[in-house]
Amino acid sequence: MDLQDPNLLTMRGITKRFPGVVALQDVTLTLNRGEVLALMGENGAGKSTLMKILGGAYEPDAGEILVEGRPVALQSVREAKRLGIALIHQELMLAPNLDIAANIFLGNERRELGLMTPLSRRSMNETAAALLRRVGLKLPPTTPVSTLTAGQMQMVEIAKALALDARIIIMDEPTSSLTAGESEQLFSIIRQLRSEGIGIVYISHRMEEVMMLADRVTVLRDGRYVGDLARGQITQDKVVAMMVGRELSHHYFPEKKPRPPGEPMLDVRDLLVPGSPAPVSFTARRGEVLGFAGLVGAGRTELMQTIFGVTPALGGGMTLEGQPYWPRNTRDAIRRGVYLAPEDRKRHGLVLPMTIAQNVSLPAVGSYNPYGLLDRRTERRVAEEEVSRFAVKTPTIYRKVVNLSGGNQQKVVLGKWLAMRPRVLILDEPTRGIDVGAKAEIYRHMAALAEKGITILMVSSEMEEVIGMSDRVVVMHERRIKGVLPRESLTQERIARLMTGRSEATAAA
Amino acid sequence: MFVALVLMCLGLWFSNPDFLGQSNVINTTRQISMLGIFAIGMGFVIITGGIDLSVGSLIGLTGVLIAKMSGPVNTSDPQFGGYGYSLWVGVTVAMGVAILIGLVQGLLITRLDLQPFIVTLGGMLLIRGISQTIVHGGTLSIGNDSPLLSLSNGGLFMVHGDPLVPYSVIILLLVVIVASYVLHFTVFGRYVYAIGGNRDASEYSGIPVKRVETLTYVISAGLGGVAGVCYAAYIRQMSQQVGIAYELYAIAAAVLGGCSLRGGEGTVLGMIIGSAIMRVIDNGINMFQVPYTDRDGIRKLWRLDSNWTFIIIGTVILVAVVLDQVVHIVQAARRTRRAGAMAAAASAAQPVAPVAGQPPPAA
Repeated sequence: MDLQDPNLLTMRGITKRFPGVVALQDVTLTLNRGEVLALMGENGAGKSTLMKILGGAYEPDAGEILVEGRPVALQSVREAKRLGIALIHQELMLAPNLDIAANIFLGNERRELGLMTPLSRRSMNETAAALLRRVGLKLPPTTPVSTLTAGQMQMVEIAKALALDARIIIMDEPTSSLTAGESEQLFSIIRQLRSEGIGIVYISHRMEEVMMLADRVTVLRDGRYVGDLARGQITQDKVVAMMVGRELSHHYFPEKKPRPPGEPMLDVRDLLVPGSPAPVSFTARRGEVLGFAGLVGAGRTELMQTIFGVTPALGGGMTLEGQPYWPRNTRDAIRRGVYLAPEDRKRHGLVLPMTIAQNVSLPAVGSYNPYGLLDRRTERRVAEEEVSRFAVKTPTIYRKVVNLSGGNQQKVVLGKWLAMRPRVLILDEPTRGIDVGAKAEIYRHMAALAEKGITILMVSSEMEEVIGMSDRVVVMHERRIKGVLPRESLTQERIARLMTGRSEATAAA
Repeated sequence: MFVALVLMCLGLWFSNPDFLGQSNVINTTRQISMLGIFAIGMGFVIITGGIDLSVGSLIGLTGVLIAKMSGPVNTSDPQFGGYGYSLWVGVTVAMGVAILIGLVQGLLITRLDLQPFIVTLGGMLLIRGISQTIVHGGTLSIGNDSPLLSLSNGGLFMVHGDPLVPYSVIILLLVVIVASYVLHFTVFGRYVYAIGGNRDASEYSGIPVKRVETLTYVISAGLGGVAGVCYAAYIRQMSQQVGIAYELYAIAAAVLGGCSLRGGEGTVLGMIIGSAIMRVIDNGINMFQVPYTDRDGIRKLWRLDSNWTFIIIGTVILVAVVLDQVVHIVQAARRTRRAGAMAAAASAAQPVAPVAGQPPPAA
């Protein structure tokens, strides 16, 4: 071991260029044994790129990497794995047609005879079973991955990293698909690994997790290294200031002016959502932000998909502005002014290879011209309106949305619907994966829309967001509505209590 | 699918006992074997999510090369004759060319990131053109005394001059054994499935995706070459028409046998069953007959017009993939329901742990 560098990992002067953009410029990162390092930064700051370099997927244009004091050239994923570096991606990297054991050992099989080496299924299954026990996944290793939930798949990814006997584990937003219980499991595994001397790089936007786990925080901004914070110094304000480059006010939720409740806009009566054991009822009022809180799997997204017509209801009824509303498909919903900004915006909300202009005009483009031809002038006008309304950061409306950051992509999704005068806007996890600065902007826009009389149904898993933005909160648990809390009685404890199944004992307290 | 095959065979035998007669069975198994050999090759490619449209042309070219290299010399018009080299030379050259073509196609697809459909489509046409120039629009014979003839006629357990186990079946068995081992028991086979299931995950797991994919195209072309040798023995007069559309039969056989064109699914046994179904249908159209009495009381046999061949095969393929997709949709719906129930059960069992990481509220 090189005594000049006591760190487990040192990355120095890392620079990476892609066509048209410098992703990383002279970035430094260090990691010690038995340390959890939180890597934070706005979307587009370069965190994923830096970690992909460490994982062997990319090669840097400049800079050096030292593992335990020795310089290494990470030219391939196999190289990185051989050096004990495991990267758990945010997007699940599993082959659905194979079973758990096969996925855990994917790329790590014994290859004494090259590619023609026979598979040693029995030993792989045994080792996989042991790893599954370690991560607390109670399933046989021969279970096909296609039958697993997102949370279970994430646990398999973690088992995969453990199978490598890694000394450096990188986790990119690991809790995004986990239930609270699975997250707790993950945290205890992380603490265990830390005590074994393994270094962990933890990428997350969730401040609570970072505050709980991180020994140190490294912040990147626009591809550059901003600085580190040690455990005692980590506060949300400081991190945000480093990420954004300016001090943000403590409360970045817009002030809620007290307003008399509007008349009912969407009334849901005994609606039976496919897959739910019981019907649900609630009323959303004009100009209100109705938050939907619940644990992963509580059924909020499914409810919204039924309201939007993706999965038509099996029973019950709805009225919209007093008229019966029963969408059999999304066209029915859109025609009545009910729009959905989905949870997975890249997959369901945008056509990534198309431009901003094309995406914004997509739902309405058929109506611009009576003969079914494309009307590029109207398309441009509408796109420019929405881009300026939401201050989307782009030099031109003809930029492909795949090149935008998460926050700007979400703005395009909102712009798409706003151009069509919504009555009810359903937002499913509107600020997931979006950096703090963009979040504040989106909150402002949401409040402005509500003020104009649009009803917003906001599904969110971030407690702060739910409490900060909602006029009322519908709490769901196991596909049922457990309670509706007015703004005055919104506390984390009350919401949490309802989210986990206990009903409100009394109206007060 | 296997059930469908058995039912079909029973039905055909019922309508025409000759279907299971010795000569028909031997002939049909020979056909199944020849198709099966390169259907397996196609299967490897399809499981990784690719496609190889050039196999048919390759089979043609293989035969043409054998005829050219080893066929008798045409003294009056050398263009229309062979070079008269020994059979070994001919077969070696043909196989070598086949593997080379597979390698080139594989490299083009993987290194230049080209679509397999286009590369193999171009290959198909190019190879057909090469066959055409070699035969100069005529036919080339492999020779009336070529040892290759015994390949198609001969076999084990000769009975009345017909082999009970033709050589092509033996070749198929060898291919099946090796292919099954490689696909289901080696790391390479695991990688073939992984790439078809999730190419990104395979890349990020450090699997040499390009090398594996290139090898599948080499395998497909190689097995196409082997099949080409068998077909050359069978058809004997090589024209540029040999092998046209064969790749489509291989694709149909693979899909009927369980391979999904999406990639990631399929088994060697399935490919064989698929090949059997294809050939039994083909044979069945000739064999199928329904006895009836016409108006004048004369007993006649109603038979299928062989022009119906394509209609029937096409319908079978469509029905098969529709059924496969329906099963897929039903399974997916069942999965969503199960996930919803599981998630509901899971959140019931959760300790109280709100996202904010607060301690559980007082009961």
